[in-house]
Amino acid sequence: MKNTIIISLLAFLSIQLVSATPIKDSISSFTFQKMQLAAAMDFDCDACGCSASGGSMGFSSMLNSNFVGIRYFNQSYSSRDGIFANSPWIDENFNTAQIWTKIPVTEKIQIAALIPYHFHNRELTTGTENISGLGDITVMATYSVYQTQKDSTVFTHNIQVGGGVKMPTGKFEEANNLGTVNQSFQLGTGSWDYLFLTEYMIKKKNLGLNSMLNYNIKTENSKKYQFGNQLNYGSTLFYLLDLKTVQLVPQIGIAGEVYESNKQHGEKVLNTAGDILFSKFGLEVGKDKFSVGINAMLPINQNLSSGNIEANYRWSVNLNYTL
Amino acid sequence: MKNILYKALAVLALSTTFTACSNDEETISGTGTLALEFDNSFNGNDLILETQTNTTASNEVLKITSIKYIISNIVLTKEDGTTYTYPKSESYFIVDEATAASHVIDLLNVPAANYTKVTFGVGVDKDQWSAGADGQGDFLATAQTAGMMWSWSAGYKFVAFEGTFTSSTVTTAVPFKVHTGQTGTDYNYTTVSLDLQTKALVRTTVTPQIHIITDLSKVLNSTNVIKLSDNNASGTGANIMGGTNLPLITQNVSTMFSVDHVHND
Repeated sequence: MKNTIIISLLAFLSIQLVSATPIKDSISSFTFQKMQLAAAMDFDCDACGCSASGGSMGFSSMLNSNFVGIRYFNQSYSSRDGIFANSPWIDENFNTAQIWTKIPVTEKIQIAALIPYHFHNRELTTGTENISGLGDITVMATYSVYQTQKDSTVFTHNIQVGGGVKMPTGKFEEANNLGTVNQSFQLGTGSWDYLFLTEYMIKKKNLGLNSMLNYNIKTENSKKYQFGNQLNYGSTLFYLLDLKTVQLVPQIGIAGEVYESNKQHGEKVLNTAGDILFSKFGLEVGKDKFSVGINAMLPINQNLSSGNIEANYRWSVNLNYTL
Repeated sequence: MKNILYKALAVLALSTTFTACSNDEETISGTGTLALEFDNSFNGNDLILETQTNTTASNEVLKITSIKYIISNIVLTKEDGTTYTYPKSESYFIVDEATAASHVIDLLNVPAANYTKVTFGVGVDKDQWSAGADGQGDFLATAQTAGMMWSWSAGYKFVAFEGTFTSSTVTTAVPFKVHTGQTGTDYNYTTVSLDLQTKALVRTTVTPQIHIITDLSKVLNSTNVIKLSDNNASGTGANIMGGTNLPLITQNVSTMFSVDHVHND
């Protein structure tokens, strides 16, 4: 029943999308006014719903708010394969290629969609294990609750709220959760998950600060496994260098993730809660209707799975086309 | 118009979230399998036979060549406090580090329920031994094959812990053998009860596994401190198979088990 509601809702949304006329900015595709929904895209790394799978990565595009693009990102983890002090540490690589898009429906409402394809691997003592396939597709909408009028003040503000749904299009394989290694080695959570987000952006001339907070409610999947709810937060400082032919946007910030315990048959799974704080760096280059972005995240402080999982780094590259 | 539609979207999204929280009513019936895994370790490290050097709190360095123990009389406590006793005639098992298959004990036909505690004996209880050779069923032969009997009259070995050791006073490695079992004065069977932090949910379709860690460093260093060096009078090795040390070691043995986690797969 729940699923029927959501499917019909999505169908309804897509009709909306098609019928809506995108608002084209005739002056420049790269004005900050159009930088919206950055926080919304922070769900994209939610590779598997999963603890330690990267909910706060994001960045989105600081240059163009309405685009379709492709992005590759890599997350490197080390996990302890066992419960003992002398248990081996194994390397885990989470690779994702995804199509992402943000489309305005009205001046205040935007819709975003993320379609990920994962190809993960880990080096178990018994050999390399690979999984690959379609991940969980996310669709969300945001609403601009407050926006300063253009050119009216020194500072401009933009506050957005939104929500969305992540569908269980990625395969959840129960067998991947046997043993004690990273429970997030999955293509999807196998569950319908719900996203709520807020974003605040303040700008003065070419300098801006984008802060976001979002919460991801995860439900129990058909295998009676439930990934823990996840809080993501972050703040990014960015600066626009307009060199006439190209625009450069260097970015620096922090991003954090807090995970609640996973549950199986309603019972908490030990050592699945945790938190992590990242520093993040990025550069976006825009020319005409295209922009290229590259980003990296390095952990500052982490406590994942009671120390049994360590995030090493994350990085991404993306190519966007402004709509 | 569109705003209204999106507010409707938000309300719907919220409502689906809340309906998702309602629990399905589950009727628990039938029987299932419960697995007890015994994972041998030494003071936090996974046990590796023969090669691994294990240092005790008394600064004795052990290389363990063999560890076997008898697990028996398993009782499972449900969340309502009632218990299920596994059929006694089938409730004797030997865990042998050298035999991987023996590390996991599958309890079959366990009533479906939510279990919060597991209780088991280490060794063979006196009642069972008193039942005589004929009362032992297949387990007598199993124990003899595994070398877990001295003789019928002397009885079973409950824990057989063997290897070599060195210490500040024993600089060349010599063998040690710690065998618990009955002595003339003490029977030395002990019972262990372990609470489960995560309930074991036995169902026809769910086979929980209780992952128990056995910390062998506690055989010598726990409630009581036993030094192998003090039991090496001849200089050719330490054999603790009787005497006053066995009840002390038995007390230690009762502390060496802990539940690391429970899977409900």
